[in-house]
Amino acid sequence: MEQRMSSTWRLTVNEKNFIETALLADLRVDGRRPFDYRPLSIKFGREDGSSEVQLGETHVMGYVTSQLVQPYRDRPNEGTLAIYTEFSPMADPTFEAGRPGESAVELGRVIDRGLRESRAVDMESLCVVAGKSVWAVRVDLHILDNGGNLIDAANIAALAALSTFRRPECTVGGEDGQEVIMHPPEVREPIPLTIHHLPVAVTFAFFSEGNILVIDPTYKEEAVMGGRMTATMNMNGDVCAVQKAGGEGVMMSVIMQCLRIASMKAADITSKIKSAVDAYNTERALRNVKRHPSSIAIDVGVSEVAMQEDQVDDLRKDEQILEDKLRASSSGNIGLTGAETSSSRKREKKTGGNNGEPFIGGPSNWDPYPKEISSSYIRSSQALPGPLTLNDEQEVTKAAQKSNLSHVDTAANVSDAPTETITSMNPQTSSPKSLKDAVKKKNRKRR
Amino acid sequence: MGMDRGDGRNPNQMRPLACSRNLLHRAHGSARWSQGNTIVLAGVYGPKAGTRKGENPELASIEVIWKPKTGQIGKQEKEYEIILRRTLRSICLLTVHPNTTTSVILQVVGDDGALLPCAINASCAALVDAGIPLKHLAVAICCGLTEQGSLILDPTKIEEQAIANLVFPNPPTSVIPKGSSTSAEEPFEHGIITSVTHGAMPVDDYFNCLERGRAACSKISEFFRKSLQSDLPDNASKAS
Repeated sequence: MEQRMSSTWRLTVNEKNFIETALLADLRVDGRRPFDYRPLSIKFGREDGSSEVQLGETHVMGYVTSQLVQPYRDRPNEGTLAIYTEFSPMADPTFEAGRPGESAVELGRVIDRGLRESRAVDMESLCVVAGKSVWAVRVDLHILDNGGNLIDAANIAALAALSTFRRPECTVGGEDGQEVIMHPPEVREPIPLTIHHLPVAVTFAFFSEGNILVIDPTYKEEAVMGGRMTATMNMNGDVCAVQKAGGEGVMMSVIMQCLRIASMKAADITSKIKSAVDAYNTERALRNVKRHPSSIAIDVGVSEVAMQEDQVDDLRKDEQILEDKLRASSSGNIGLTGAETSSSRKREKKTGGNNGEPFIGGPSNWDPYPKEISSSYIRSSQALPGPLTLNDEQEVTKAAQKSNLSHVDTAANVSDAPTETITSMNPQTSSPKSLKDAVKKKNRKRR
Repeated sequence: MGMDRGDGRNPNQMRPLACSRNLLHRAHGSARWSQGNTIVLAGVYGPKAGTRKGENPELASIEVIWKPKTGQIGKQEKEYEIILRRTLRSICLLTVHPNTTTSVILQVVGDDGALLPCAINASCAALVDAGIPLKHLAVAICCGLTEQGSLILDPTKIEEQAIANLVFPNPPTSVIPKGSSTSAEEPFEHGIITSVTHGAMPVDDYFNCLERGRAACSKISEFFRKSLQSDLPDNASKAS
């Protein structure tokens, strides 16, 4: 698109003055302190190696794929890692499709340096046949929403995706012992990558000739700032990369202060990434164990691990999943199961308990009067029968429950066995028939 | 017989639908539509001044950008862009903002069959979220034919043999009870906006697909409208 098409977004003079004046008084526009990060949430998709990171308003998606290729001639026994960043036009009205702009290239290079050149991912374990075939790992980072500080968010997305990525196992066999046989995931469990350390990028913005510095600038602060510096550090205190490309001159003591702050923040973020990855791995293991073909609806939805401290911020989106089974089942041929609604606000910390099946095995929760369940949380947690043909009686019971539970208040989240509480509430709210139904359910599934 | 499909659905069953809107902060409108594991995120930037060189300046123009999950942009993505562009042009009111361009950007988050219908539904939801004036909604569905020759709705990637991606119009009159619709609207309700087929299928089976698809689309449109309507009380607070 030519220039006349691109909408140049410019900050107004009033906003600029406001941000600068507020910073002089140590205040930031969104209420943070100068060295506070915005709430960070790391979610994973169903496949291995896909992550979605939300840092305040910034939204980045990472996706890792791998392929067998011939190695470079000067490194015959090492795999390769390549990072591709896409500044999607949906992130910012000024981003344009086609050739990556300056900032896109810079972002790609900073993340590349931090990850590849610091040898965070072990390349030699990616070698299959030296000199002939090695694994080439490709990381695609899609910037979906530019709320500022893309480098940090994209870096976390890349780390999260690489930590959960698994490549197929392959063995060398065949007649001459040179043929590479790749095993499908059903036959042999895919192998995760070997990651030595997690290099985390921390970005600082400088204002008023280097006197004021803040961490994690929003896009409005980025439009006002005088200079920027990104320090990529890991938990051990190693500096993996530093990027300060132009901008205001800053004193050496300030740079050292930045590096010290960065190492603390890096430790913090590393622990968040690790706990998110651990939660995902547990959920994945659980998922792999229950491989009944017709019973469980595990495949719907994302395994979410919300990591933010401030829960309100996360709920900008309203997610609607409508439960339409009754109507669908009465309409003859067409069965639209699993068109489901629930309100999003209460859906905060939904962990793998999404599955909502009684035998996933959470703690048995007999609490006849649970004060702290939100009705819509229960609604959402039972909203995933997926592509099953659920029998009508179950649906009737659930629908009856929903209407009866509409008075329950919202509060903190429930444990990871919501269905246990639901079945426990059954006797109070419905007729004795529902108890039989609860028993019936189990019988059916055992079949 | 009903359990022929890999994930246990019967031939007339769709995967669970989910639609969420207003996800992105910079985009004027955004929506995320998922059918099972096929998930598409759409972002819309409202009318920008100017149109491309060959376009008619008396009408608004729609620009579609399709971003695959991985890999370079190739012919397949260009084809999707063209199909989407033509479909969306037919549902938008192009004379309201002449000489402007509305951009629709799609990001594939997951692909497990029926990608094009999912994308069309997502972009329609995003256009509604952005407030772009539309004539009516467009509801899309994918119908497939198995090797045995039976019809299935909403096939997954492994089930895709011969498929027809169908887009039906969904005017508001279709959800008003029969009594109040005028006869002039009736022929319109039986129209079809877009049909893209892959693979060979007999003609009768294609017509069957159309019938089944239309019936299923009325279900999808109910879900769609419900999810749009239940947002209304919240929108007032978001406007501030």
